[in-house]
Amino acid sequence: MSRLVAELPAPTGTKPAGTGRRRRSRQERLAYTILLPALGTVFVIVTIPFVLAIWQSITADDGTLVGFRNYTRALSNPLFYDALRATGLYALIVLPTEILLGLGFALLVHRAVKRAGLRATLYVLAVLPLVVPPVAVGVVARLIYAPGYGVLNYVLQSVGITHSEIQWLSDPLLAMGSVASVDIWQWTPFVYLVLFAGLQTVPKESVEAAQVDGATWWTQFRYIELYYLRPLFLLILFFRMADVLRVFDHVFILTGGGPGTATQLLSLYIYRIEFRFFDGGQAAALAVLVLVAISILYSLVTRALPLERA
Amino acid sequence: MQRISRREFVKRTAVTGAAFTSFPALLAACGESTGANKVSKLVLAAVQGNEDGPLKKVVGNYKSQTGIEVQIVEFPYDSLFSKLVTTFQANDSSYDLCMMDDPWMPKFGTMGALQPLDSSFGFTRDSDIPTVVYDVGTWPPPHGPVPPTEQSKAQHLYGITIVGNVEMFMYRSDKSSAPANWDAVLANAKQFNAANFYGYVIRGKATNPVSSDSLPILWSFGGNIFDDTWKVQLDSADSITAVDFLTRKLKQYAEPGAANFDAAERSQAMATGKAYQSTVWPGEITGIVEDPTVSQVKGKVAYIPIPQGPSGKGLGMMGNWLLGIPKGSHNGSAAADFIKWMLKTENMRNYVAQGGVPIRKSILNDASLAAANPYFKALAASFDAVPNWRPRTDQWGAVETSYGTAMNAAVAGQLTPQAAMQQAASQIRATMKGAGYPS
Amino acid sequence: MRGRRAAIGVRLILIVAGLGVAAFLYAFPLYWLIATSLKSKAELYQSITLFPRHPTLEPYFSVLVDRGFWVLLKNSVIVCAATVLVTLAVGLVITYPITRLSVPPRLRVGVLNWALSLRFLPPVAVVVPYFAIVRTLQIYNQPIALIGIYSLFNLPFAIWMLKGFLAEIPLELEEAALVDGANRWTSFRRVLLPLAAPGLMAAATIVFTFAWSEFLFALILTATPASQTFPVGVQGLVTQFEIIWNDMAASGVIAMSVPLVLMVVARKYLVAGLTFGVIREK
Repeated sequence: MSRLVAELPAPTGTKPAGTGRRRRSRQERLAYTILLPALGTVFVIVTIPFVLAIWQSITADDGTLVGFRNYTRALSNPLFYDALRATGLYALIVLPTEILLGLGFALLVHRAVKRAGLRATLYVLAVLPLVVPPVAVGVVARLIYAPGYGVLNYVLQSVGITHSEIQWLSDPLLAMGSVASVDIWQWTPFVYLVLFAGLQTVPKESVEAAQVDGATWWTQFRYIELYYLRPLFLLILFFRMADVLRVFDHVFILTGGGPGTATQLLSLYIYRIEFRFFDGGQAAALAVLVLVAISILYSLVTRALPLERA
Repeated sequence: MQRISRREFVKRTAVTGAAFTSFPALLAACGESTGANKVSKLVLAAVQGNEDGPLKKVVGNYKSQTGIEVQIVEFPYDSLFSKLVTTFQANDSSYDLCMMDDPWMPKFGTMGALQPLDSSFGFTRDSDIPTVVYDVGTWPPPHGPVPPTEQSKAQHLYGITIVGNVEMFMYRSDKSSAPANWDAVLANAKQFNAANFYGYVIRGKATNPVSSDSLPILWSFGGNIFDDTWKVQLDSADSITAVDFLTRKLKQYAEPGAANFDAAERSQAMATGKAYQSTVWPGEITGIVEDPTVSQVKGKVAYIPIPQGPSGKGLGMMGNWLLGIPKGSHNGSAAADFIKWMLKTENMRNYVAQGGVPIRKSILNDASLAAANPYFKALAASFDAVPNWRPRTDQWGAVETSYGTAMNAAVAGQLTPQAAMQQAASQIRATMKGAGYPS
Repeated sequence: MRGRRAAIGVRLILIVAGLGVAAFLYAFPLYWLIATSLKSKAELYQSITLFPRHPTLEPYFSVLVDRGFWVLLKNSVIVCAATVLVTLAVGLVITYPITRLSVPPRLRVGVLNWALSLRFLPPVAVVVPYFAIVRTLQIYNQPIALIGIYSLFNLPFAIWMLKGFLAEIPLELEEAALVDGANRWTSFRRVLLPLAAPGLMAAATIVFTFAWSEFLFALILTATPASQTFPVGVQGLVTQFEIIWNDMAASGVIAMSVPLVLMVVARKYLVAGLTFGVIREK
């Protein structure tokens, strides 16, 4: 199989175009001329709130420096660990499911659907769940899972599969599953759209060459397509991870974090610390902790799977 | 080095940032003109739902009588609070009037976010309006414990109730007579509980819903969140008995999935004839249970004040919606005129005709209105009995979250009543200690 | 031989069955959304009906006219369209140099890492600081505040998507144009942009959907319907004591149909974006 990789066209975009030194430096200058103003502006706009958040995390309400007291308070609250556990479980359910399903559909459509019209229709269908406001998604989910008038129990009972109401939202594990299912419904299409777009960058020649060599469905994916999708996987993984940390509406509407704290995800928890406890210092400390944790995870992952191709 | 407050720091950093970016030129031309003395428009931040519906219908009259338009900007319940707090922190002038749920008053009072209605605009107490309604809009609170930071402040009136919500009790009067006390509630729940008919409905969803649902029971059993010196009472014997009564005894006859029931589910169950009794707010009565287009039980449900507990008292809970005038508003006196207009008897009658919940005793006890509004008598009685309010502390949001989370776990059966209340009590003690309350 | 064909047959049946289940799971919530939006309040307070018994468009009228949400919808369209344009433009400005010009790899990786990390800070922690900034700039309660913030937060995504596409377009194509006398700008417009179409379209779509559903910043950075967006209004249909089911469902359908209509109108570009794109000539 290494032959297939060897046959891949040399990654073009990342290779310097000219060989002469002068040419390179002229290009580099042009690059900086274009890049710096844009990056500079973005940098300033994002850095201010960022600095403010860090400042807030080391001060009290009256502006006195309190060192790491907000951090120790954040870390000594047992509810924080409940939230962490709930978020971890949620992420373990939704991330692999969404990525595998989205990848599966993207590969299937990419390989099996050739008609432009059908591709466009599937594309539009995939966009639909993404444009329903999260609060409306939460409400529809409530109409499906709720005790009393949930349509899921109604259907299960009229078909005769169950005889009594299943408590989708007040049993800790079922509640987590129900809440996660909504995420999977809404966000699998996102993974599909991104990976499907990514598959369009796979050069047809290498795929054809591989097929001549008798590559199977799996080897074609493993040795060719995966190679082009890798940066997108990184993008999806960390985007979805960041999004899992800001999930709000459907959890709030479905369970309000309950039963007890079973579905009180970090996002809900930080929101409550900020807007219910009005403990801005602790909320900022939590936010910074989240930021640091993902950044560490990110650097570990990119070290194992470098962003740049060798 | 001069110490600067956090808000000042935020402001300064923002100014610096603004200077960096190239926006300002583009945006210079947007200063609000406040010059003209004649106010033609007032902007009112309101909560979306049954609470502001009638208000929206009467502001047209105000415009035709005075020429002043009242623009109502609606927000969801949870968001209105966050929105108002951030707006007040910035002393922004976007809103001339705001609707406030009464448990928010301590936060706004402590912040000093509102203009005093008595000293600035000459509001006085009207004997036709229950004293407690004025008290709930007064800061610092005229009775009960006062937060340590607020004890030296002068009392002023900051809010006037326009939705006189008090939590009451409803039951199917076609099936039995009114329960005299909570033991009778339990007996009825047992008697009428049947397949697909709930003997009692618990509004048990986490945080605010289950907190509202359980506090009247807690109080009627002699339990409490705080005593008069801010000592936490949730793990007292009376409090635990009350929680045990709700989450164990009544729960046997309550709906399945109680830990996930909110008001929407409760009023639906009641309106479709699937439930016998529960606590209730006026908004659920007018919106669902007595709404002829949806209710199958109209005329079969009676409303009474919260039944008595072992303490011999039945304590309802206030949930008044008040109107206040933010400090930042440039149109204070015009806004005050609007509140005065709302309070006039004839205007309040019209407001009631549009579905509003009145606060005037003369209207609540008016026999001609009783038929169309079957809960007025119970509401008047609830006011007479002097309902409790939620503890007057700006930490209430935190307290309610801790209490409502533990209660939800108890309703779900994850924690015993005792364990739940011990958990809530220790969290609330930590919160209050951190906020400088005596421990 | 026969065994193998049977195995393929079984696999095919399993795949078809799996797709059928997936299609049902995908479609049912959407169906339930639409069905609920066509029910009257009275019907919602009776026992469950799988099909609306007396379909009514009343909830749509209620949402758009009675509640006046069409103004918010209009704001949403403006904000989202502008966000997409700004994000893609700035995204191209940042990705073009790092993929098409020779720069040190460390810079390229640095920009990408930094861009992604913008997404890691929970918004609830920065919304209040942004509120202060927006007020200082005097753009509080103006659509431009939301456009700016949304563009900023969606930039990482645009940069990553565009980077993938621009990097895969052979430099030779662009160089050929340069040799033919085109300047960088023309070759960028005539050669690069069309080839990157699928990436641009995917990025535009996703950025649009992110901006379309955003709630927290929309709530805090606006004050009146003059600049509030659709999600702010929709959120209010969950009231303290009641969920207005049918109006909420109608809002969901409306929120879906606007992008749907936009995509149908632009179907020519949609199809082009899905079929053209990166070519390789070796």
